[in-house]
Amino acid sequence: MQLIGVDVGGTFTDLVFTDTDRDVTLIHKAPTTPDDPSVGAIDGIRDLCARYDLDPAAIDHVFHGTTIATNAVIEHDGARTGMIANRGYRDILHIGRHQRPENYSIMQDIPWQNRPLVRRRDRMTVRERLAPPNGEVLEPLDEDAVREAARAFRARGIEAICVCFLFSYLDPRHEERARQIVLEEFPEAFVTASSSVAPQFREFERFTTAAMNAFIGPRVRNYVRNFAAGLDRADCRGDLHIMGSNGGIASAATIAERPVLTLLSGPAAGVLGGVWAAGPDAGERAITFDVGGTSADIGIAVDGRVGEATARDTWIGGYPVLVPMLDIATIGAGGGSIAHVDRGGAFRVGPQSAGSRPGPAAYGLGGDRPTVTDANLVLGRLDPASFLGGEMTLDTGAARRVIGDLAERLGLDESEAAEGVVTILNSNMANAIRSRTVQKGLDPRSFTLVAFGGAGPLHGAEVAAMLDIPRVVVPPHPGITSAAGLLTTDLKYDAVKTAFQTSNSVDAAALNAGFAWLEDVLTAQFAADGFGRDGIGLIRAGDLRYVGQGYELRVAFPDGPIDEAALAGVWQAFERQHRTEYGHVFADSPVEIVNIRLTGSAVMPKIGRPPPPAEGSLDAARLRTGPCSFRVDGRLARFDTPYYRRDAIPAGCPFEGPAVVVQRDTTTVVPPGWTAAAQADRNLILHRGN
Amino acid sequence: MGKSAAASLRNATLENARRIDPVTASVIQGGLENIAVEMGHKLMRMSYSSIIRESEDFGAALIDPQGRQLCETPQSTPLQSGPIPGYVQGIQQIFAERGDSFEDGDVIVHNSAYHGASHGPDVAFCIPVFHNSGLVGFSVTTAHHLDIGALSPGSCGIVDAMDAYAEGLQFKALKVYDRGTLNRPLWHMLRDNIRAPDLVVGDMEAQIAAGRIGAERFVELIERHGPETVEAACDALMDHSERIMRMAIDALPDGVYRARTFIDGFLDGDDPSRGDLPIEVAITVEGSDITVDFTGTAAQVPDRPINMPLKGTTDCAVWLTIRSILLDSAIHGHIPQNSGLTRPIRIVAPAGTLVNPVFPAPTIARFCTGNQAADTLMKALAEAVPHQVSAGVGNLHVVAFSGIRDETHWVHMEIHEGCYGGRFGKDGMDAVDTLYANTRNNPIEDVETHLPLRVHRYELRDDACPPGQWRGGIGSIREVEYLEDGGVSVEGEGHKYAPWGFAGGSDGRTAGLTFRRRDGESIDLPSKLPNMTARAGDRIVMIGPCGGGYGDPMARDPALVLEDVRDGLISAETALRDYGVAIAESMTLDAPATEAARQAGREGRTP
Repeated sequence: MQLIGVDVGGTFTDLVFTDTDRDVTLIHKAPTTPDDPSVGAIDGIRDLCARYDLDPAAIDHVFHGTTIATNAVIEHDGARTGMIANRGYRDILHIGRHQRPENYSIMQDIPWQNRPLVRRRDRMTVRERLAPPNGEVLEPLDEDAVREAARAFRARGIEAICVCFLFSYLDPRHEERARQIVLEEFPEAFVTASSSVAPQFREFERFTTAAMNAFIGPRVRNYVRNFAAGLDRADCRGDLHIMGSNGGIASAATIAERPVLTLLSGPAAGVLGGVWAAGPDAGERAITFDVGGTSADIGIAVDGRVGEATARDTWIGGYPVLVPMLDIATIGAGGGSIAHVDRGGAFRVGPQSAGSRPGPAAYGLGGDRPTVTDANLVLGRLDPASFLGGEMTLDTGAARRVIGDLAERLGLDESEAAEGVVTILNSNMANAIRSRTVQKGLDPRSFTLVAFGGAGPLHGAEVAAMLDIPRVVVPPHPGITSAAGLLTTDLKYDAVKTAFQTSNSVDAAALNAGFAWLEDVLTAQFAADGFGRDGIGLIRAGDLRYVGQGYELRVAFPDGPIDEAALAGVWQAFERQHRTEYGHVFADSPVEIVNIRLTGSAVMPKIGRPPPPAEGSLDAARLRTGPCSFRVDGRLARFDTPYYRRDAIPAGCPFEGPAVVVQRDTTTVVPPGWTAAAQADRNLILHRGN
Repeated sequence: MGKSAAASLRNATLENARRIDPVTASVIQGGLENIAVEMGHKLMRMSYSSIIRESEDFGAALIDPQGRQLCETPQSTPLQSGPIPGYVQGIQQIFAERGDSFEDGDVIVHNSAYHGASHGPDVAFCIPVFHNSGLVGFSVTTAHHLDIGALSPGSCGIVDAMDAYAEGLQFKALKVYDRGTLNRPLWHMLRDNIRAPDLVVGDMEAQIAAGRIGAERFVELIERHGPETVEAACDALMDHSERIMRMAIDALPDGVYRARTFIDGFLDGDDPSRGDLPIEVAITVEGSDITVDFTGTAAQVPDRPINMPLKGTTDCAVWLTIRSILLDSAIHGHIPQNSGLTRPIRIVAPAGTLVNPVFPAPTIARFCTGNQAADTLMKALAEAVPHQVSAGVGNLHVVAFSGIRDETHWVHMEIHEGCYGGRFGKDGMDAVDTLYANTRNNPIEDVETHLPLRVHRYELRDDACPPGQWRGGIGSIREVEYLEDGGVSVEGEGHKYAPWGFAGGSDGRTAGLTFRRRDGESIDLPSKLPNMTARAGDRIVMIGPCGGGYGDPMARDPALVLEDVRDGLISAETALRDYGVAIAESMTLDAPATEAARQAGREGRTP
């Protein structure tokens, strides 16, 4: 099998090719073409094939991570969208949950009011109403009104339409019927029914998800078509698959229908790549730590799997989105984060970033504010001559000037100020990890930190030390982890259904029917992608809470018929989970099943482990030695520190910190008290202690 | 503050700053905020009643041994975390009077409105935190409980409580855990005297669990950095917040700024002294100090619970408003919340008035009065900082739905939102919670699934847009039907007095409440409604207020007026009448007719 992973970033498009038969893996970088990223991606595939003499026609699969949907949301650059809703509920999208995003602000903007996905003039209402608990029809669907709305939308130049009825998760037939009618009148329209993207209760969130799907739909659909056409023109016959926010890949056809599934495509690939890079053992309990120029993405893998965010915590561009997404924490902390003294005299780092232009002062591109990169350079932790493989020389003088100014304002000396910048940044990142581990009942000391991205390996060990994490893994190519991550996953689809049931009166037949329905949905989905029932693995779960609570916890459900014994196990699992997450259980309180879920996956070919590094000696890998500052036992001191070339470090030769390891896409810092060693799989592993 | 006092304060804060390096101070601040986030997160997720988990009407904070707030959870509604220092000071006062002492393992319940609590239903659980046998602070959660054993079901709309005793149980600094041992009789007593005890007790357990986590994490933080360092960092942190607030106040022109607004109070009874009540504010800015004087505000209503505890409600309304205007987070970004922010602010509130009642005057329904006080303060500051305020803000309604099923009460509280007035360069925010309230509504799909209620309508009001160069926000209508017999009670405001227009903008629109019987009869209800029976098929229609307009409507960009017409927010007739903007039938702007209409308007003719 020949596979290509293509991850489009802001500046570069990363490509990873792997041939699973020959155990060959190749990497390539191409400039991103922001106007139509598929152009740069296809060019990249062409170049890669030409450079390594590969036949594009022999490529079996192309796996793609894209930010096209995310950018459309963040830039509010989508289709003019219409909405058909129940009469009496025209403004659910506008009122939202009637909560202001900011507590302490008069001049704030409310995203769904200031930048509506569907403007009020394009929200039409029709008679229709279902009621709980079983979707009883209070008012039948006014089909003529739907037809009229569709005609009006067409006349107005609307491109996309969402159909949003209350309680449609109980019975999607009215929404489906309305969708059909719209398509009869207006076949070119991109039409989304809310029950088809998020059949779950909470109308504002479900309607917003449907509206967002419609809003970005035409653009993503065109993009996917362009990409596929581009592959054709490049004689690449590979099947196009796109990374979903759920950490699985989906067929291009599915994404063209439900683009809202890709909103976290890029970060999801990064986290999966990190877990894969950690290797089969360390990947069982891993914290992925992906730090770039402006932000840090943090993911947690337990038993080798990255959990999903709870439905109420998934937001994009200020809008809530009810689709399965990997639980990834993003904070504004990176190499370009700006250090400053605020008006009240406090020392802050970030969240503002100098980005890549002008970037840190050390880039010499006009940056005049002290950044984390400048601080690292002043401390000696970056090698000015080896940055980006020597393509850019860092200006130590400029870094010292901006850090010097900062130091003067703080009343600290230069290296104290520089080390303060790094410590505050590290502390912010450690707090973000603490929120995802300690606060959820996970002990970070039992995890491995996988550090990647341009700045992750610079800070990984010190952040790990703050959390008592004993081990840090730095993958061989920390800059292309997302692209590699694309080649580590399976075809994966989720189905969910709201199914309120209480532990003291469960209708097991209804649950079994519900799971059977979910299975039908997924089987049809996989059949469309060419997979028979035998080729799919199915995993059941439910969202549960104590009756009365408003937040659910994800609990596994067993296979087979759901009977009393199975349910007893489910209640116990819920209680365990509640104790782990919150440190408390409510004995004797009844439990409510809110949603049932089914996740299906079909195995895809994957990238192999990298071959061992070259033979050699540590001495040969040493570039030079130089002064580098670290805090030991509370005191900041300079150490004579060796700088090693990453690609020349032989496997199995441990070396003690302080040490700095340079390579094209990152720099790894091994602080005093840590030991590092290259492994046979080319990972660099840092251990605390000797 | 005189010049020398300011100088000595600067010296004191510099002294605090010297005790700690700026890096460690920043690291400890991040650590404290992380703890508050975790407390709030867990409380919200564990809690049972929708008023906490959906409306987010809860608070969590760490307090130092002197009763000063170190950090608060950002998820909370400001009226919950803001009062926490006052709760702790009230507990300390009662403990001192009683000769009681804080012990490791204690959990203290407190809700006395005359000892720092915001009002009775906002019950605090306070956990003293010990490190090396010494008291190092308090981990505290507050939450609005569904029922606290008042004279009628629920904990809002108890508008006929005639004194503090009619408002339900009063917990005055009671140990529910004494050195780790549960005080069972107290717990039984509580359970037997409140309605919906399962929900309420579940929420209280969640509060204790979240508070214990806060205590544990605070000790970990102290162990990580050492007690002296943490203490020094906390001092520096509060000084820092104080400095930022002082700089913002210092930027205001010195002077006295005044405003007065009215609340409905009780308009329907036979006692006129309970209605049309003024709230009067004089703000004196002098250097970096600000004094908010409520002299002139109406006397307390001795036998109706719309009085606001000075500590817990009035002070929070003041702090929230000043902070939101002077340190608007959309402009200034995140500023650490702690007691330092309130140091430059002095409040003068004569005893025996609405803003500082005397025991046993009832206070349980003080919510809307407080929001009106906040609005009045903004009106006064509008003169000083016209580009940082909104025109008059629409107040809220809190509605308690209740009934009995299987010998058990169900109680459901909804906060029906108001909206903001127009702002400089921006229209008002439509249909949102306002000022010190920032809760979330309940999804219709949740309400109807779990309660015998049906929501028939939830959308913006028709053609109710208050004119201005930047229009006022538009209120919403929410119509709820009872599917079984039950009861309703309401505390609201703004049925008589519309939000104020500013700088030539029109006044906003009043709120309303209609009871529509199943036989078709329609009754307009006052803004305060004691518990009233509702039969299956009866409907409550809540009509939200619309905020004041900002600036002359004739100066509104005609293109924006056209957009409002296209969006169905106003009619073409309204556009011509209120804005002098002529819209052609093709839904386009008729520029010559618009110019003529506006010219006519300038000349005082009817267009």
